[in-house]
Amino acid sequence: MSGHQPQGPGNGPPSAGMSMQHQQGIQQPPAPSQNMSQQNLNQIVIEYLVKKGYNKTEQTLRQESAHVDKDGRPIHNRVEELGNIKYAKGFKLLTDWINKNLDLYKFELRRLPWPIFVYSYLDLIINDAVEDSEMFFREFRPQFEKVHADELRIFETVKLRSLVFEDSTCKLYRNNKYRLPLNKNLYYNLLTFLETNAQLGGQVIIYILQTYCEVRQTERGPMDQYSFEAIVNQGRGLSAEDADLQEGIPGAFTGVTNKDIMDNSAVLKLGLMEMEPDLASDVRAELEEEDAINPPPYGKSSLVEEFDRKIKRENSADGPSRAEIPLPPSRARDVIMEVQKIKENRDRFRIEMTPEKSGIAPGVSICMFTFHNTLDSITCIEFSDDNNLVAVGTQESFIRVWSLHGDPLPTIVRAAQNDPPTSSRRLIGHSAPVYAVSFSPSIEGPAKKDALTPSTHPRHLLSCSSDNTVRLWSLETWTSLVVYRSFAGPVWQVKWGPFGHYFAACGHDRTVRVWAQDKITPVRMMVGHDTSCNQIAWHPNGAYIFSASDQADKTIRMWSVSTGECVRMFTGHNDMLSSLECAPNGRILASGDISGNIIFWDLESGKQIKRCRGHGKGGIHSLSFSVETSVLVSGGQDGTVRVWDVAVPTDPHKAEAQIAATGGSAGTNRVDAGTGAAVPPASVGAKKKGKETMITPDQLSAFPTKKTPVYKVKFTRMNLIMASGPFLP
Amino acid sequence: MAGEPKLVWNPDNVRDVAESVGISSLNEEAVRALSQEVEYRVGQVIVEAMRFMYAGKRTVLGTQDISQALRVLDVEPLYGYESTRPLRFGEASLGPGQPLFYIEDEEVDFEKLINAPLPKVPRDMSFTAHWLAVEGVQPSIPQNPTTAEARANELVPKGPGANPALAALAGNDNVSVKPQVKLVVSKELILFFDKIRSAILDDSADPEVLILRKSAFESVRSDPGLQQLVPYFIQFVAEKVTHCLDNLFVLHQMMELTQALMENPTLFVDPYVANIVPPIITCLLGRKLGREGVDSLKEQYQLRDFAASLIGHIVTKYRKSNQELQPRITRTCLKYFLDPGRNLGEHYGAIHGIRTSGGPPAVLTLVLPNLKAYEAILVKAQNERGPNDEPLRMLIAGILHAISDITDASIVMTNGVNGNAAEGAQVEEYLGTVIGSRVVAMGNHKLNMAILESREKQ
Repeated sequence: MSGHQPQGPGNGPPSAGMSMQHQQGIQQPPAPSQNMSQQNLNQIVIEYLVKKGYNKTEQTLRQESAHVDKDGRPIHNRVEELGNIKYAKGFKLLTDWINKNLDLYKFELRRLPWPIFVYSYLDLIINDAVEDSEMFFREFRPQFEKVHADELRIFETVKLRSLVFEDSTCKLYRNNKYRLPLNKNLYYNLLTFLETNAQLGGQVIIYILQTYCEVRQTERGPMDQYSFEAIVNQGRGLSAEDADLQEGIPGAFTGVTNKDIMDNSAVLKLGLMEMEPDLASDVRAELEEEDAINPPPYGKSSLVEEFDRKIKRENSADGPSRAEIPLPPSRARDVIMEVQKIKENRDRFRIEMTPEKSGIAPGVSICMFTFHNTLDSITCIEFSDDNNLVAVGTQESFIRVWSLHGDPLPTIVRAAQNDPPTSSRRLIGHSAPVYAVSFSPSIEGPAKKDALTPSTHPRHLLSCSSDNTVRLWSLETWTSLVVYRSFAGPVWQVKWGPFGHYFAACGHDRTVRVWAQDKITPVRMMVGHDTSCNQIAWHPNGAYIFSASDQADKTIRMWSVSTGECVRMFTGHNDMLSSLECAPNGRILASGDISGNIIFWDLESGKQIKRCRGHGKGGIHSLSFSVETSVLVSGGQDGTVRVWDVAVPTDPHKAEAQIAATGGSAGTNRVDAGTGAAVPPASVGAKKKGKETMITPDQLSAFPTKKTPVYKVKFTRMNLIMASGPFLP
Repeated sequence: MAGEPKLVWNPDNVRDVAESVGISSLNEEAVRALSQEVEYRVGQVIVEAMRFMYAGKRTVLGTQDISQALRVLDVEPLYGYESTRPLRFGEASLGPGQPLFYIEDEEVDFEKLINAPLPKVPRDMSFTAHWLAVEGVQPSIPQNPTTAEARANELVPKGPGANPALAALAGNDNVSVKPQVKLVVSKELILFFDKIRSAILDDSADPEVLILRKSAFESVRSDPGLQQLVPYFIQFVAEKVTHCLDNLFVLHQMMELTQALMENPTLFVDPYVANIVPPIITCLLGRKLGREGVDSLKEQYQLRDFAASLIGHIVTKYRKSNQELQPRITRTCLKYFLDPGRNLGEHYGAIHGIRTSGGPPAVLTLVLPNLKAYEAILVKAQNERGPNDEPLRMLIAGILHAISDITDASIVMTNGVNGNAAEGAQVEEYLGTVIGSRVVAMGNHKLNMAILESREKQ
């Protein structure tokens, strides 16, 4: 009964551990009848203390007994004494304050609730307050549903103290301080508010902020994407302050912290790879000959001119040198391929989006290949660069290759040469579902060829599978040539580099590995992702690889192939990434996720350019840029092929529409790093979710299919779009 | 909330398993902890399994995903569930509210199975090719969904900034956006419209471009058969004027385009006049047109002049079909003119607007009686900005222009012999010193008489 009062000098400070107090609360009810003696008892004890000269203890007792009501129970006017409800109280206090705050500050303040929520919840679990934690979670979860769905899913299952110390996400949060950039003024406001309302729960928030978070004050005015500061910075081409970008916890959640883990200022060589001098002179000679035989039609440039134009661009200073990325010496086949490339480039269908034409859809043509009788077993579809073959990986562990034109697929194996010709081949070797295939570089051969002309068809096919291996197949013998074993888990994606010879794969073991064709072990291994890495893409100059990670991480990293280091990081997706593609001009990266967003990134600055919405849920399986990097085509699970304008919405009107169109419900915490096209602040509550099929105005056109999710879209070198998917009635 | 936390995983399940391994009594605490542990593990498996589902580009989680996930988590997979068919679950009741689910296991007679005819070989995987789009348009062939099936409204940009008419213009009308005015515009016209747009917005000083620009206007001014494009042109003008207020070049081009449209004898613009006027008024009365600077100041006044004359042109040309037009414009201008809060540029535009839209009667009845009071504005500006301030001088010149227009300008004054001092004093008194003195200095007897006459009528 009197357990609340310290009985001797050895007792703790007034705000002793809260679990203690909780227990006291339970102990109290049995003795309500003694209330009369309570005051007397106090009196007696005080007298005793005075007599003994225990001044401090006496003072403490007086102070504390003042908080006792006439029944002798402590008055719960301090939130700490409320036990576990204090977290909910504190959290509500904070969110109410944020909602009532000036709109000017809201954008920034919306970063606060998530870390408070997480740490409160984890604290509750550690306190073994199961019901309270569950209630807390249920009550406040909806507002984070949009941005933190994956983390919520994880936290939802963590209900035991021991699991907090075991689960990797929880560990990340517990072992690291959550960084919160706040402007100075606002930080001051927040602290004053919390301190004045300490009794009502502010104390808890202060405690959490002090213990688990690292609030960084920044020297700037209030910030949101329309603020003076943002606009001025943008006008000057400056990015936001570094401190602003350092939010969250590396690996778990990192606001828009492009500059978080490492410096995004590493110098990039985004130019195209220079051409081997011997090859260049051979190609030139070949082209001159060609020009002499077939003079260019009126209005078109000659092939040599075209070549010179390309060379001039390729030798730009910022390209990687051949010494960095050694490639085998060129052969006759390479000469023919380069010649063909120049020809195709000249004769291509041009898609140029000048500012006046922006918003007007180009007249693209799409050839759709629909697969039938698949029973949903197709996992991936790939076209060869010479537009002659299509390969399909299946859930049933085999790969099937068809000729698109129905021509027989010849083999050079003598024993099999008498078999009836067939236009499709099965490649059997994997022992688990095949998740990706990739054709080695190829191009359609010249119209006239003799026996000496080397073939320009693809000669190899790569595949990766859930059996932890990557296999190299010969398309001449239709057999498996090499098995690359290195991954410690399923391999999700494999892709040839732009010049062949090198290829990259990524897998469940969170690594990206790069092989050279002539070695059985990987020549590079890129480690850094925090969760399984499911997408990769090559930079067109072959010097960089992009990789995307799923689940909690959701970042895209850019790796240098020559050094193996991570040189850029892009964060901003709220959902698992499902496709990646780098533009042919080497400056822009596009990424698609499973909730239907496409984000364009600027490689040089590492910043988001814009976010396009339009695809339905289920994922964007494939992206492809036109040769001029003027439009992007995307294909998704919703069974549509969509064409997007790449050019950044330059006038503010358009940028505004962009923001409005992104739905008015997204990242609370995600603060755009400086471009106008920001993620808008969240609307609390899930009701607005119905409006998610907003389509941003930069969509140029959309072509629906008949019940066919589109697995692959590809611009050919002549700007025809090839698309493919299985018919799923 | 009081009582037990809700467990997703049925604790009885845990107890059953415990019993099956020989632990007969498991205390409540342990059961709860174990069920929560199981919940966590199941969650883990589902997270992994989802990865395999996405990797296989499927939307339904299958048994094979679960077994792969288990393998990745280093757990022995569950055998015997692998099936490409959906599993059929049977339900049995253990008691009230305690359903038990199990997989229906068909009993198959071995004899029968062997003797049964072989099942039909499933059809081989194959592919077909068709055009999903040709030159940006989806052909209506059986392989493509019909517009009704495609739920077209989900395919075009929505929200602010989206321009459905533009999509229709680009030939995307197969996606069944209905522009407000159903209008079929031919390819050639679209091309023409684009060419004109790009030509007149090209501001390079290249003489070739200049010629191109001029010929673009000439084309709009004279080509027959542009009727269908009229709304698009007007929309274009309105949009550009709204968004490019700081770009005098664009504003000027837009005014020229408007003029060209009105001058084309084959176009019937009358119904659109109400839409044509606002952009012009904006250019006439805008608070801030173009950027700061001496060069742009000049251009700004040129633009205002141009807009004023356009207004005049419109009023005279469309007065018949649009009764309200003239009074409305004049009223707007007068409101601006008499508002002391407006800056000098706006006043300048307003006086010009009154002059061109209302003509001499408007100046006589609306402007002159107010001039004396108006002088305060001029004096204030003079004191603040000095007498040589350009905008101020422009404004005074504008007012004088309006006044001198009262009489026929063709009368050339004869060396100050007409008029007398008394007349001059009266005029000066009526109009105020700043304006009056200047009017008198013109020494136009007829004008003075007209002014004084109007004064008497008041």
